[in-house]
Amino acid sequence: MDSNREMERLPRGRHGLPPEFVARNQRERLIAGLIQALYEEGYQKTTVAMIGQRAAVSKSDFYKHFESKDDCFIAAYDAAVDQIRRHLLAACESAQGEDWAGRVAVGIEGLLKQLDAEPALASIVLVEGLRAGRGIYDRYQAGVESFVGLIGEGAPRSAEGAEVPETTDEAVVGGIASMLGRRLLAGEGERLSELFPEILEFVLAAYLGAEEARRIVSSG
Amino acid sequence: MSSTRPELPREFIAGHKRRRMMEAMAELAAEQGYEATKIADIVRRAAVARKTLYDNFDGKEDLFLSAVNATITEMRVVVEEACEQNGGMPEEGIVAGLEALLDFVAEHPAGARMCMVEAISAPPSSARLYDAGVHDFVELLRKGAPEGADLPETIEESLVGGAASILQLQIRRGEAERAPELLPELSQFILSPYLGVGKVVGTGRRK
Repeated sequence: MDSNREMERLPRGRHGLPPEFVARNQRERLIAGLIQALYEEGYQKTTVAMIGQRAAVSKSDFYKHFESKDDCFIAAYDAAVDQIRRHLLAACESAQGEDWAGRVAVGIEGLLKQLDAEPALASIVLVEGLRAGRGIYDRYQAGVESFVGLIGEGAPRSAEGAEVPETTDEAVVGGIASMLGRRLLAGEGERLSELFPEILEFVLAAYLGAEEARRIVSSG
Repeated sequence: MSSTRPELPREFIAGHKRRRMMEAMAELAAEQGYEATKIADIVRRAAVARKTLYDNFDGKEDLFLSAVNATITEMRVVVEEACEQNGGMPEEGIVAGLEALLDFVAEHPAGARMCMVEAISAPPSSARLYDAGVHDFVELLRKGAPEGADLPETIEESLVGGAASILQLQIRRGEAERAPELLPELSQFILSPYLGVGKVVGTGRRK
């Protein structure tokens, strides 16, 4: 989702495309339009007109797909989380030969690169999702939850003679999400990749202990 | 808060009313959310006149922000005192501070919900109070960290954010009263980058 690119508009008039394709396409454009408008204006200031403008969809067509700005927001939020999750899954799959720590490293690196490349996507998921009201905060929590299984899969459950508690998975994911959200709010988006070694150390330490985490991070 | 109690009865009553309104706000926000809470609900719950509310606060948002601010401050003071009273090993201070935080959440479920859940998504200005609160706790953690640990702030922010997210889940499940049960797990989580997973001390409850 290039932030400066005009949303691609379908040719006017008789283009011979089946109506369901047009509808789907419109819906996707509206979702992308909302994500972009939100990034530029913030949730409070974003209007249906702004979303329509960025999506090149009329206001009346907007209401064929969504009941309200909130309704569109929820759809966009879920779509954005899904996009990040699919990207992360692909990154993890590309590292299947690696051990758990290696997969975590590839996953975190891929995640940070994606967030840097798509600041509007990062912003809706990690910043706006928390601030836009109660219903959407529920989606934020659900979104965070959906990553918990990814990090916990194959993670060591005991280290240095102690058990790693189940809540660690949630705490690690929640901690990364919260910290990244704060960095985005502070205007440090597009540079999140610089935090890679520190985030990796944070995740590994929670499962393997401080010394082992530092050893792995410093050995690259 | 008894040490700051004013001596004059009139001021005491005024302060007491102010506090009651903030408590009513916390309870109502926890029960039905900030948006749905009306001024009429607040004055009824606090048993004060509408005029008293407007004498003390500009309106609902101002009352909410004052209540969030007061609760976060109280929470921080409790945690800071617990950290300082356990000045032995640094990690003991951190565990004591965490224990005090969990006890606070259990004893003030409405207040905890207001400042840890509602404040994030209610009026935009309260999210800034939440962010400032997180920052304060990051500072507390840095202060209590073992000497020479020298972790990057990214890690400490992730630790505080991670612990907060576990507490938020607990509060949202309606189980704030059981927050103290999280002490062993959260102690281990918070101390792991400093000490290593197996080396966490003092996670048993002392009471």
